[in-house]
Amino acid sequence: MTERKDTEGLDAFFAAAREESPMPSGDLLARIEAQALAEMPRAGVRRGGPGLFGQLVQVLGGWQGMAGLAAACAAGVWIGVSPPEGLWSLYILQEAGLDGLGVDPLSAFDMALMEG
Amino acid sequence: MPYDAMNDCDDDDLLAAYAAGDAAAARALTARLTPMVFGHAVRMLGGDAAEAEDITQEALLRLWRAAPDWRRGEAKVTTWLYRVTANLCIDRMRRRRGGPALDAIPEPVDKTPSVADEMQNAARVAALQTALEALPDRQRQAVILRHIEGLSNPEIAQIMDIGPRAVESLTARGKRALEALLSGRRAELGYDDDD
Repeated sequence: MTERKDTEGLDAFFAAAREESPMPSGDLLARIEAQALAEMPRAGVRRGGPGLFGQLVQVLGGWQGMAGLAAACAAGVWIGVSPPEGLWSLYILQEAGLDGLGVDPLSAFDMALMEG
Repeated sequence: MPYDAMNDCDDDDLLAAYAAGDAAAARALTARLTPMVFGHAVRMLGGDAAEAEDITQEALLRLWRAAPDWRRGEAKVTTWLYRVTANLCIDRMRRRRGGPALDAIPEPVDKTPSVADEMQNAARVAALQTALEALPDRQRQAVILRHIEGLSNPEIAQIMDIGPRAVESLTARGKRALEALLSGRRAELGYDDDD
């Protein structure tokens, strides 16, 4: 047999396969349609992932993480506004020398001068 | 929108309508895509219709779930489905390796000419299915998409996530292997009558 005949022979098999295309049963079509309708998003109902705030909450460890962060933030503000007595023995402004320099937290210029 | 009015809509339009909650789009997509997915699954699975039904349902379920986040124009719905279907079939076949041997396919029976022709066609399809099953997964997928589903090489390349040259190589090797597998059966399957 020649190569050409082999290829022609194969084409006859492919043609037969194309002719006898398998068709889905009515039962399968009905099941798939029911599934499609069951999975269909409802009109007007917004689906999809969380919004920007929701994503931020997830990144920061969910609501527990957010609560911890908020508590730490509040404690920091409270210590700054009304420092407890015991804090001065650990951290004395005079010794640190920061009060004498009059550092303005809004300006980086002072620190730049200090460093020469 | 009634189903008739959706014949002009492309798959992307229908999927967008489905994602917006249009039941007619759900029906139109089911009618349009199920035969294609089922046919491909049957061929990929070597003719197992029951398993092909499972795969069809699974592939379309994935499409329904992907619909709300579908990015229009990025991939054709049919390309995406061919890929999902083939991957599901390949997974399934890897789990149940060891299908029927080539000799186990039904022999053509001599009856009246028209029935004989029909039997011959059916026997050819069965022989091809069994031979396809003996090919490596990727060769089988490429040969089915190219020579039975009739897709172009660039589209097959997209489905299989490879270059067009790799598609050519896979189909050429697949055809050579099929020729070798079917060469002994051509005479008994009536190939010689076709000349």
